[in-house]
Amino acid sequence: MPKWFSPAAILCGAMFALSPFVIASAAYESTMGLVQKIFYYHMPSAWVFLIGAVVCGIASVRYLATGDPRHDRTALAAGELVVVFGLLTLVTGPLWARKAWGTFWIWDARTTSSLVSWMIACAYLILRRYGGPGSEKLAAALALFGMANVPFIYISVNYWRTIHPATTVVPRLPFTMGFPLWFCVVTFVLLFIILLKLRVRVEEQRARLDALYLALDERS
Amino acid sequence: MKTLTRWFAVVSAWVLWGLTLAAQQPTQQDEFVPIDQLPPQEQLAAAPLLIGAYAFVMVVLFFYVHSLARRLTSVQRELDRLDTTMKQGGSA
Repeated sequence: MPKWFSPAAILCGAMFALSPFVIASAAYESTMGLVQKIFYYHMPSAWVFLIGAVVCGIASVRYLATGDPRHDRTALAAGELVVVFGLLTLVTGPLWARKAWGTFWIWDARTTSSLVSWMIACAYLILRRYGGPGSEKLAAALALFGMANVPFIYISVNYWRTIHPATTVVPRLPFTMGFPLWFCVVTFVLLFIILLKLRVRVEEQRARLDALYLALDERS
Repeated sequence: MKTLTRWFAVVSAWVLWGLTLAAQQPTQQDEFVPIDQLPPQEQLAAAPLLIGAYAFVMVVLFFYVHSLARRLTSVQRELDRLDTTMKQGGSA
């Protein structure tokens, strides 16, 4: 593992442990009250979900262009993280909506496109797991669709009629709410980098293992 | 006269019963009521939703990190075993 890994993991763990206290100190939103505090984990999860889809897409493009298995390993690791953080986003969002909107789910542009993106990531992993030999390239093409969906998800709240908060909310937050939010965003992004590195490491070691088995076969 | 008195008593009882019922019925709501002005029994508690959301995030992340650690340990153990086998010149 690289030198930065252990300090980054310790820092991330400390920030995660500290985050509930930072969130508790945040000001109450006037109309939604206590339930609005779900936002401090929901929005960073959503951002990491979208970042993961972009990382998976870019790594897949590079794999398709160069055929380098390192990019394929990065794409696979990012694809798995898209499913994990997408799940967090799609569960915490409805819990917030139940109180704020009076319903768990509405089929508006933001929620529907997020669900579609998460399902593309699930399809990517299923294809990688059960697709057999050669499925890497097919899955890489699927990851491109996942990445293409990201700008659509982001701008959907500004262009379509929806009750989901628009992208203009975050820049206008007061410091008492902005600081906890950015603290959680940094924590989640750091967590994403650490988990990505760990997941890539698993794939690297599996590739080494395959190479060793091949070498043993050739020898015997 | 007796009949009239009886009828008066019945009608009075009927009116009184109607008035009592009317007093018990809630007034019709014809305006929007802000959610924070609803009676407590009609308000949805925020704390279980908030705790549920945070607990879900923590549990999912814990299991994912645990699963990653388990996979990494398993591959590493297999690699070490194979390395040892190769150094000894045997087959797996």
